[in-house]
Amino acid sequence: MHPTELDPSASGHFEQFGIVPEVLDQVMRAALSLGATDCDLFFEHKVSTAVALSDSKVNRASTDVDLGLGVRARVGDQIGYAYTEDLSLPAMLRAARTAAAIARSTPGLAPVALSPLHLPNRYEIQTSWSDVGMDKRVPLVRAWEERAFSLDSRIEKVQTSLADSEKWILVVRPDGRMAEDYQPMTRAHVVCTAIDGEVRESNSYNLAARAGLEFYSDAARIERMVQKAVERTVFLLDAGKPVAGDMPVVLAAGASGILLHEAIGHGLEADFNRKGVSIYAARMGKKVAPDFVTVVDDGTLPGERGALNVDDEGNIPERTVLIENGVLRSYMHDEISAAHYKVKPTGSGRRESFRHHPMPRMRATYMDPGPHDPAEIIANTKRGIYATSFSNGAVQIGAGDFTFYMKTGFLIEDGKLTRPIKDVNIIGNGPAALEQVDMVGDDLMIDEGGWTCGKEGQGVPVSQGQPTVRVKSLTVGGE
Amino acid sequence: MSLLDSAGAAVELARGMGAEQVKAWISSGIEVELQQRQGKLERVHESSTLGLSVSLMVDGRYSSHGTSDLRPEALKAFLQRAVDGTRYLEQDLDRTMLPFEEMGSLDPASLDNDDAESINKRGPEERQQAIKQLEDAILAGAGEDLVSATSYLWEVRSQSAAVFSNGFQATQARTHYGQGGMVTLKEPSGKLPESYSFFNASHFEDVPTVEQVSTDLWTKADEVRNTSQCASGKYTMILDRRVASRILGAMISPMAGGNLHTGRSMYLGKLGQTLGSKAFTLVDDPTIPRGMGSKPFDGDGRKARVRPLFTEGRLDTYLLDLYHARKLKMEPTTGGTSNIVMQPGSRSWKEIAKEHGRAIRVTSFLGGNSNPASGAFSLGIRGQLIEDGQVVQNLSEMNVSGNLLELMASFVEAADDPWLFASYRVPTLAFTDVQFSGS
Repeated sequence: MHPTELDPSASGHFEQFGIVPEVLDQVMRAALSLGATDCDLFFEHKVSTAVALSDSKVNRASTDVDLGLGVRARVGDQIGYAYTEDLSLPAMLRAARTAAAIARSTPGLAPVALSPLHLPNRYEIQTSWSDVGMDKRVPLVRAWEERAFSLDSRIEKVQTSLADSEKWILVVRPDGRMAEDYQPMTRAHVVCTAIDGEVRESNSYNLAARAGLEFYSDAARIERMVQKAVERTVFLLDAGKPVAGDMPVVLAAGASGILLHEAIGHGLEADFNRKGVSIYAARMGKKVAPDFVTVVDDGTLPGERGALNVDDEGNIPERTVLIENGVLRSYMHDEISAAHYKVKPTGSGRRESFRHHPMPRMRATYMDPGPHDPAEIIANTKRGIYATSFSNGAVQIGAGDFTFYMKTGFLIEDGKLTRPIKDVNIIGNGPAALEQVDMVGDDLMIDEGGWTCGKEGQGVPVSQGQPTVRVKSLTVGGE
Repeated sequence: MSLLDSAGAAVELARGMGAEQVKAWISSGIEVELQQRQGKLERVHESSTLGLSVSLMVDGRYSSHGTSDLRPEALKAFLQRAVDGTRYLEQDLDRTMLPFEEMGSLDPASLDNDDAESINKRGPEERQQAIKQLEDAILAGAGEDLVSATSYLWEVRSQSAAVFSNGFQATQARTHYGQGGMVTLKEPSGKLPESYSFFNASHFEDVPTVEQVSTDLWTKADEVRNTSQCASGKYTMILDRRVASRILGAMISPMAGGNLHTGRSMYLGKLGQTLGSKAFTLVDDPTIPRGMGSKPFDGDGRKARVRPLFTEGRLDTYLLDLYHARKLKMEPTTGGTSNIVMQPGSRSWKEIAKEHGRAIRVTSFLGGNSNPASGAFSLGIRGQLIEDGQVVQNLSEMNVSGNLLELMASFVEAADDPWLFASYRVPTLAFTDVQFSGS
C-alpha cells in the first residue's frame, strides 16, 4: 500500500496552547544560548481513556491527560535535557536554559524560519477517539465478555478492557524543520480464568493498532481475539513442562518475532554500537546468519503499533534492512548515531514521552519469508519444542545473551506435535542463535498484539513478526 | 497555593459537578540525573514536575483520572468530562471509601525519609565534580579488558498531598539519592559482558562513597568474566541479596487482592496454611526510618502498620485493599507492600554454600516470568557454580525453573548480609533442590 500524505495545513493543534512560531523561536534560542550545536523541542499532548469489565460489570474507567514540552540541547553526543508541564513562555524558557547548560561557550547556531514537513499518513482512521463517548465503549467490552463465557464451560472469570489514546506531537528543530503528527492507538484485552477440578489457570489475548473505533467493527477480528483468549487459557489446564536442557526450538509464525527483537534488534540499535558495547559492534558487513535470513525494522507498515509518520526527532521513518541475506547491513539510527557513522538517520529516534530524550528504538521488526514449508519444519524435527505464544523477553546487549518466555507450546517428538507445554523460559546467545537458524518458513505474520519495548526506563509501542523458524539449539527451562 | 490546597480545590470542584465521593492526590517533584562516560558528561537531565490524580464516585459509579494540564479552565473541563463519563458505567458500591474514623497516617517525620536539605545544597558544578570523582574511582579499578565505563548520579525529591471528600488529608515527601556505574568488558570470545553497581538511599549521607561503589562494581565484574553453562540438574540455589526481590516479589504478587479476586493466585484457600519451610519468615514494614519503601499511609487512607506476611512458613495474610476485600467478603489489610524484610542469619553465604556441596549462586536474572495461578516460574540467570564454598565457574545462558510453593518449602537459611539500599531489605537466601537448565 502506498501511504497517502498528510496535509501540513491541517496541523496547528498546539496553537491552542499559545505555541506559535515566535514562541518556538524564542525557546530554541534559549536552548542554544550557551553554545549547543543542535537542539530539539518536543511538544506532546496525549489523552488516554480506558474502560474495563470484571465480575460482569463495566465498573471501571480511567482517563489521563499528559501535556508538556521536552527540550534537548546537544553538543556532539552530549545531551542536556529538561522538560516542563507548564506551557507558559517563562516555564518553557526555564526548561530550555536548563537544557542549554550542557554547553559552555557562546551561541554559534541560530534557528532559521520554520517550515512544516510533509509527512506520510500511515494511520488513517475514520472515527477518532475524541469523538467516541463512554456509551460507545461500554457495549464493546460487555459483548467480548459474553462471547468468552459462551465458548467453554470451564471459563470461570473474564475480564475485558478497551484502552485508546490520541497523541499530538510537535517536533521543532533549528534547521527549520517543524513536524506535527497525530498518533492514535488502541488496544483491546481479554483475560480469562478457567478451572477444571483442582487446576486453575489464567491467560489472555490482545489486539492493538494505530486505529480508530472502526477497528472493532471487524467481526472476524473480534471473534479471533475472544476465541484465542479462551483457547489459550483452557490449553494451560492440561499442559506440562518439557525436560530442561538444550534442544531444537521451532517458533510459530507471528509473535515469535520476539526472538528477533531480543536476540538481534536491541543489539543493532546504533547507540550501543557507537559506544562499542554491543556484541554486534564489529560485525557490520559481515555474515551473521544463513542466506535465507533477512531481518527488517520498519516504521512504514500502515496501522501497525510500530508505525510512525515522523519520529521524535523530526525524521520520516523508513524500512530499514538490518540483515540482508544473512549479511549485517544497517543499524537503527537516531541523529547522534547517524552523525557518528556519517549515514542518514533511519527515523528510529523515539522516546516514551516529553519527559524523555530520544534514542534509537525499534518500530516493527520482522524476518522476511524464507524458503521452507512450515509443516516440513516440524516434520524435520526429531525432538524439540514448538513455541506458539510468548509473554516477554530480555537481552544483555554486550554479552548477547537473550531470553524469551514461552507461555504455550508443544513438544515435538519424531516430527509430530505431541504433549502441550507451558511456562518455560528459553535462553540463548544472539549471534550464536542467528547462526543456528536452519529453517525459515514462507508464512511471515506480523503479530496483532500490543507489544511495548523497554529500554533505559522508557517504553515505546512496537510491532514484531516472523515466519515459522527453527533454531537448532536453545536452552529450554523445564523439569 | 500549597499542594494540600490544590488537592482540596480539585475535590471541591469535582463535588460541585456531581461527584459524591472524591479522592485527590497532587504530586510534585524535582529530579536531577547525570551520566558521565569517557571523561565527559554524556547526559544531564533536570526537571520539575506537577500532576493531579483523582478518583470519583458518581451515582455509585467509579472512575480514576490523571492530568498534568493544570491550567484552571483545562482542569475544569477535564473534571467535567470525568464526571460525565463516569455516569455511563455500572454501579459498584464496593468502591465506596472508608469512613473518616478508620483513616489515619503515621507522622511522616517519624519515617525520616525526606532529606530535602541535601538536594538544595549542591549546584550543577558540585554535581559535575562529584560524578567526575566517581568516574575517576571506577577507572582506577579498570584492567585492560575495559571497553566502556559509565557513571551515574541522581537526586530526586517528590512531595504529595492527598485530600479525600470525607475530610481525610495527609502529606508525604521523600528523597532519593544515588550513584553507581556500569562497565562493559572485552573477552577473547568477542562477548562484551556488562557489570553494574547502583546504590540508592533516602539520605545523601547514606550513599556509599565513590571508592565503595568502585570496589563493589569491580567485585561484581569478576562474576561476569568468562562465563559458560554448567550441566542441567538440581542444585542448592544461593540467591544473591540484591536480586532476591525477583523471586520474593513473585511469591508476594499472588497475595494481592486483584489476583485473588480474579482467580489468578496460588494462595486461594490457603490463608493460615503452612506453605514454606520453618525458616521462611517475611514481614512488610512501612515504618522503618529511612527505608526505601516506608510510607505513612496506604492507598485507602489507612495508617501504615507492620504486617507479617509469612511466619515460619505460614501464610499470615492476603494483601487486600478495601475494594478487593469487599469483593472477597474478607477484612481489608492493605493493598500493597512497603519494605519487605527478612531477618538475617548468622553465617555468610559462603559458609552456607559449603555445607551444600555443589550450589549455584544466582547473581542476576535475565527475563523469564512466573504464573501467579499455578506458581510455575522459569527465569534466565547469570551466576556462579560453587563447590564446597568456593567459586569454580562463572555461569551464563542458564534457566532456573520450578514452582514457587515448592521453592518456598525448600528454603533453608538466610545469610548475614541484608541489602539495605532497596525496599526489599533481605539477605542472600539458600534454597535446596532447585532445577537449573544449562548444557
